[in-house]
Amino acid sequence: MILMEAEMNKRTSLFLLVAILIATFGASVTQAQDATDLSLWVFVDRHGLFMQHQAERWNEANPDRPINLTYEQIDYTQMHDNLLSALLVGIGAPDLADVEIKKFATFTKGDLHFIPLESAIDPYRGDIIESRLAPYTAGGHNYGIDYHLGSFVMYYNTAILEAAGVDVNTLTTWDAYVEAGKKVTQDTDGDGSADVYMTSVETTDIFSAYALMLMMGGGTYNADGEIILESPENVAALQFLQDLVHTHGIARAASSGYHHSPEHFTDLIEGRTASLWMPQWYMTRFPDDMGSALADSAVVRPMPVFEEGGYTTTMGGGTGTVITDQIDPAKVDLAKEFLAFAKLTYEANVSLWTDLGFDPMRTDVYEDPALLIAMDDFMGEVPFTYIAAGLGNVAPEYTGPFYPEIATIFQTTALYDLIENQAPPADVLAAAVEELRAMGAEVGG
Amino acid sequence: MLKPVYTILNNKKVVPFVFLLPFMTVFLIFKVYPVITAVIMSFQNFQGIQSQEWVGLTNYQNVFDLVRFNQALTNTTAYTLGTLLVLIPLPLILAVLLDSGRVVQSTVFRTLLFLPALTSLVVTGTIFRLMLAENGFINLFLEATLGVRPLRWLEIADLALPSLIVVATWRWTGINILYFNSGLVNIPRELYEAATIDGANVFQLFWSITLPLLRPTTLFVVVLSIIGGYQVFVEPFIVYNGGGGPGDSALSMALLIYRTAFTSFNFGTAAAMGVILAAIIFVFSLIQFRFFGVFRQED
Repeated sequence: MILMEAEMNKRTSLFLLVAILIATFGASVTQAQDATDLSLWVFVDRHGLFMQHQAERWNEANPDRPINLTYEQIDYTQMHDNLLSALLVGIGAPDLADVEIKKFATFTKGDLHFIPLESAIDPYRGDIIESRLAPYTAGGHNYGIDYHLGSFVMYYNTAILEAAGVDVNTLTTWDAYVEAGKKVTQDTDGDGSADVYMTSVETTDIFSAYALMLMMGGGTYNADGEIILESPENVAALQFLQDLVHTHGIARAASSGYHHSPEHFTDLIEGRTASLWMPQWYMTRFPDDMGSALADSAVVRPMPVFEEGGYTTTMGGGTGTVITDQIDPAKVDLAKEFLAFAKLTYEANVSLWTDLGFDPMRTDVYEDPALLIAMDDFMGEVPFTYIAAGLGNVAPEYTGPFYPEIATIFQTTALYDLIENQAPPADVLAAAVEELRAMGAEVGG
Repeated sequence: MLKPVYTILNNKKVVPFVFLLPFMTVFLIFKVYPVITAVIMSFQNFQGIQSQEWVGLTNYQNVFDLVRFNQALTNTTAYTLGTLLVLIPLPLILAVLLDSGRVVQSTVFRTLLFLPALTSLVVTGTIFRLMLAENGFINLFLEATLGVRPLRWLEIADLALPSLIVVATWRWTGINILYFNSGLVNIPRELYEAATIDGANVFQLFWSITLPLLRPTTLFVVVLSIIGGYQVFVEPFIVYNGGGGPGDSALSMALLIYRTAFTSFNFGTAAAMGVILAAIIFVFSLIQFRFFGVFRQED
């Protein structure tokens, strides 16, 4: 009897197992048949995971038009090189791809192989900070949607500031910043050179310089797609940057030349640099690269302004997702709709913060409770109140075909000459323009 | 049925080609074809994603107009000379010492000296970045031994090439010792014995026997070092985070070619640079072969 029962149980279990298997596979087969496959290349794994999460949301919201998004993560340089090659030969490109801001212009030389996204973006245009689309715009068409706004903020080490008697909340203008910097910058071991600086500036990367150039109304390109490197605003911005180091003596060149070098992170951790301006996404470096070592002293504040009514911040870095022209034409509309859904809807912008830790490009989500959370890495403050406070007047950044070359010139010789060799800003910019002309760029003036 | 096939395959005239086929296929597809394509590309306007057109020598003219090209050429030549000055005498002396029989456990030393060549370049780059940092090992060492104030190795243009040569020395010394060692083994011992009996001292032995008889090996190492020096890419790429170092002072020819092709997307100019680089290496190699008498008829 017991034996029979056991036998029955076995059969029932087996039956159940088979039923479950059929249900599972049957269901997935049906879904796989209906779902539209979309492939995506990313160079940051978190971007791929984010997009997959958005695909799940899409499938919940649109059960009649499900998608099956698969992503592949490839190293930064390799991914862009592969994408270029695939577009060049006309085969092998994915449906969607991430293109980094400095690389985008490279793809605009010659025939463009991306699909314009205006029809998908238009419904959201009023809700977003539209200038965020500028870097991925060519010939009047929007080709990419970013993951974040990337607004510049100032990161302060309050312990250093307080020791020098400076209240972080008073540093709203650059004049106040420079004055405070003079108190903060100190030679602690008495060897004749300063050991603690108010800030550091990049000599082999663009963020320190571009932020000031854009906030002063300059930049690399204007809205009409003209190179404006030699504009008076840029000269003034670079002069200010040079003065911070040499005239005011409150800044040093960042260790190894850029704010992502391990040596620079060490400077921050060991209290040799009291503040720096970098985009909002640099917040993730405090836990990721500095092991939360500054959790008791680091805070985020809006950028100081040059003048009342001027630009309050600008944007730095970025990665736009594009749709390539190798996508099956039947999938184009769905892909466009999904891309806008994944990056521009209210919920998506909340997830940009909750999943990725990035500042969203929709202004209405800055009031959302999900964003207004206290963060242990920043003294338990709510950084988003300060980030949002800085978004009053965001300076746009325009790009063009020679944007990558301009970045290379700044990263290699221009900023080095400006800071280390104390070359006059006008000469530095003139040399850059001359080099661009030799490369075939048309620069007026 | 397969007999005729076997007969053909066993034919003495056919067999060599059968054995050569796998190598030749790979060689033709992955070496010869890209080289020919690059040469063709250097005469075309191949910019961006568009069809290419013939432009004659324009790309070559453009190359010499570029400030960076001259800078890269100077940097690369200086780097190559620097590596030659260090990487020929140093390994030679070390190899002679290891071969002299006065070093205990010389096999262990040889193995250890070879290890850097096997280490991943990414690891090497990262470790050297840390060592060359302002508060890194090299500065601490210099301060402790020579009392030198900390140098900004990675941030100052004048120190970029020395930094790269330090990396190259660490990486290639072991390999060059191996080359010299294999050359030393082939020098007959009797020569040294005879000279010693005639009253020659250690330096005379080295100068009159070791050096002349090592000539083929030295030539080989010099040629390899020059080719390696002119093709240097990964070291600056990794030590300077993908760039050419402070003020582009570590910009090498290969790095500039890569930048021109994949940042500026200007394949035509990049290909022209590649052809020029190949020509330079070719000419140098020819001069050396002549200088060392490789083309001379044996007596």
